[in-house]
Amino acid sequence: MNRHTVSVALLWLALTALGELLVLRVGLFPVAAADEAVMVDRAFRVLMVLGVPVFAFVVATLGYSVLRFRSRGQPTEDGPPVHIHRPWVVFWFAWTTALTLVVIIHPGFTGLREIRSHAARPVDLTVQVQGGRWFWMVTYPEQRVTTVKELVLPVGRHVRFDVTATDVLHSFWIPAFRMKIDAVPGMVTTVSATPTQTGSFAEDAQFRLQCAELCGLNHADMTVPVRVVTESEFQAWVAAQARQTRTVGAR
Amino acid sequence: MGALRELRWIGRGLLFAALGFLLGAAGARGVAGLTGRSEVAQIVVTLGYVGALLGWLLGVGLWDVWVREWVGLPARSLQTQGWSRFFRFNTDHKVIGVQYLVTFVALLLLAGLLAVIMRVELATPGRDLLSARDFNTTMSLHGIIMIAVAVATIIGGFANFAVPLLIGAEDVAFPRVNALSYWIIPPVAVLLILTPFFGGFDTGWTAYPPLSVVNATGGLLFLLAFLTFGLSSILGGLNFITTIVKLRAPGMTWSRLPIFVWSILAAAIISLTATQFVAYGLLMVILDRVVGTGFFDAARGGNALLYEHVFWFYSHPAVYIMILPAFGIWLEVLTHFSRKPLFAYKLVVGAFLSIVVISYLVWAHHLFTSGMQNFLHLPFMVVTELISIPTGIVFLAALGTIWRGRLWLTTPMLFALALVFNFLIGGLTGIFLADVATDIQLQDTYFVVAHFHYTIMGGEIFAIFAGIYYWFPKITGRMFNERLGRLHFWWMFILYQITFIPMFWVGIQGMNRRVADYAPNLGGANQFISIATFLLGASFLVFVVNMVYSWLRGPVAGANPWRARTLDWQTSSPPPVENFQVPPHVVGYPYDYGVPGSVHAVVGVAGGAVTQEEAAGR
Repeated sequence: MNRHTVSVALLWLALTALGELLVLRVGLFPVAAADEAVMVDRAFRVLMVLGVPVFAFVVATLGYSVLRFRSRGQPTEDGPPVHIHRPWVVFWFAWTTALTLVVIIHPGFTGLREIRSHAARPVDLTVQVQGGRWFWMVTYPEQRVTTVKELVLPVGRHVRFDVTATDVLHSFWIPAFRMKIDAVPGMVTTVSATPTQTGSFAEDAQFRLQCAELCGLNHADMTVPVRVVTESEFQAWVAAQARQTRTVGAR
Repeated sequence: MGALRELRWIGRGLLFAALGFLLGAAGARGVAGLTGRSEVAQIVVTLGYVGALLGWLLGVGLWDVWVREWVGLPARSLQTQGWSRFFRFNTDHKVIGVQYLVTFVALLLLAGLLAVIMRVELATPGRDLLSARDFNTTMSLHGIIMIAVAVATIIGGFANFAVPLLIGAEDVAFPRVNALSYWIIPPVAVLLILTPFFGGFDTGWTAYPPLSVVNATGGLLFLLAFLTFGLSSILGGLNFITTIVKLRAPGMTWSRLPIFVWSILAAAIISLTATQFVAYGLLMVILDRVVGTGFFDAARGGNALLYEHVFWFYSHPAVYIMILPAFGIWLEVLTHFSRKPLFAYKLVVGAFLSIVVISYLVWAHHLFTSGMQNFLHLPFMVVTELISIPTGIVFLAALGTIWRGRLWLTTPMLFALALVFNFLIGGLTGIFLADVATDIQLQDTYFVVAHFHYTIMGGEIFAIFAGIYYWFPKITGRMFNERLGRLHFWWMFILYQITFIPMFWVGIQGMNRRVADYAPNLGGANQFISIATFLLGASFLVFVVNMVYSWLRGPVAGANPWRARTLDWQTSSPPPVENFQVPPHVVGYPYDYGVPGSVHAVVGVAGGAVTQEEAAGR
């Protein structure tokens, strides 16, 4: 170990410590209002924790080399003619491969399985969602309610969304739940979420159903407010909607 | 008048294009009658364009230089000296390289300006400057023009200029195909610039149907432009593969091939084989629009999801058409300016080739939220993340090369070093998008925007600038102003970070991409990004001033101002038409810096140092 290697190692350790501290201390995520959101954020944080040492290693080596090995003006001599250094190559290859495998297994494989098995639980409520230019039509088939104004969900219930589109591609996305699935004409795609806290678009813009696939002119405005309410409030809302539908129907 | 006369080929091209359009459009009336569709305009535009494209190519010189031979007439050469050579169907690879470079740097600046316009709109929530339609068109044009810049600037520009020099060849294998692939580009640019006058186009560069089937006629112009551009890429790929395989100088074995040439070979393989898929995809969309085939229309038995697979089957490998040559320039510059051999050369070659293979097997990671079959998620996640391993080798080579070197921090070297940092961020954030769990949230947000700007702009555009400054003395014979070069670098590097780092954050905060408007709570961050973008844009003015001034008035550079060892620097600046007065003979490895008595090549002067042994080898 020569002094250059030791210096870089120390620099790397310092940068890593600083980076991990930032990752663990700084709140990066907006409100996580569903079980699924917690899973996604956890996967994100694991990747950050794993990424920091890699970032720190390259930055430390790069920064140290630039400061320490630069020559003033055009160099008059060549550097050492090192073509390859086997121990380093083996070390590097082993570590990058190991890290890649770790990332594939966790959070890759485990995160995917967690979300899948969560989605496979019994469904408490089914909501049909239809995207069209430029609106979202939300239907609660069991409650016989259809609306284009808002998406109201009961807290703590496992909701499955059956998503489709009438004209072009759209994408169903609720940032507070971290869940997204494209709405494809001629196909029904599904995604599910279990809201864990009440909230509404009026309080936090993360509670919105947003189109996330470019769909033309008013794509940016293709949003519907989301409101997560208690079970009793949900039932009251359903009743009110059903009444309204009947009134409109009678007219 | 004399100057105008020199432009007569362009004039003839335009005239023939107009005639071609009329012929095509007239034919279209007949076709329209057969299909029985009331919408004639789409057919007229399509066939009119095909006629105009052929007319333009024949008029600008294809007829004289090439097609005359097919009807038994002798071909003519349009080679000249002086500035007019750049405005002709010239077959000299160095002229074509400069044509590509100047054209695409101009397009880069134009698309950069579009980004600035977009950021004016996005500076505050709500609608300010642009209508929804104009925003979508601006955003889509920015995207496709930058994609074209990223695909063609290095392969079309630097590879054309430098590969024949680096391998000691006189020209590329197919000089006329080479000229053709450049002269296909102006119609592409014209079509794209015309789109706003035909209702714009609002699909982004991805052109997903059904939207791309039903949008305004501007969308059709864009599809035709993209398809034409693909043709140019395919021809370019074919040409470089053949050139590198067949035209290497005697002694230029595969293990002596400069790393930039390897990177071009790898990219050319993708360019030749993958581009055809997007061409078919686009052709099917055009047929859906023009004759109503319904390939992607669910109501008529089609499938919209199918296009996404076909599109990304090209477009993911395409990012390696962009980044592999960037790796090539990167390592080339790091080696010469560290005065050390390239670290782990053979492993890097292996890494390039494995990236080529893996690049074909990852496309569906763009489709994790598309509604495709669930069982596809895991394999595509695994294969995508495997790409970290060969990419890691490239980083190893970069760090191993500069380690204990004699770093000469010239402008090209600064850009190459910055690329290590930028691509590191681009690569690491890519893992978040390869991971299905995090991608479900991040897909189609600004996180993706920040990620691909870190890989493509921070990686490739920085490599383009490294390449421009590196080869500027060779191309022009003059030296650029080093002080302005450094000013450009630091200005661009710092403002680049300030612009794009916050985009990761707004993406995590739930701002989706390709929108003209966003939630009001992100107003502050977006205003910050917009101001940073304007300042970043201003850095390019320094670049333009430096280039124009130095090309006209810069000090004479000499043959080898960097004292680099590769063959491109062993001939005069700019090189003569035949590149080397006597064909060079390669006798050693190109990067043996610090190895006593090592020689890469013997470049004889006419009638001079050519040994018998060398003559026999030829």
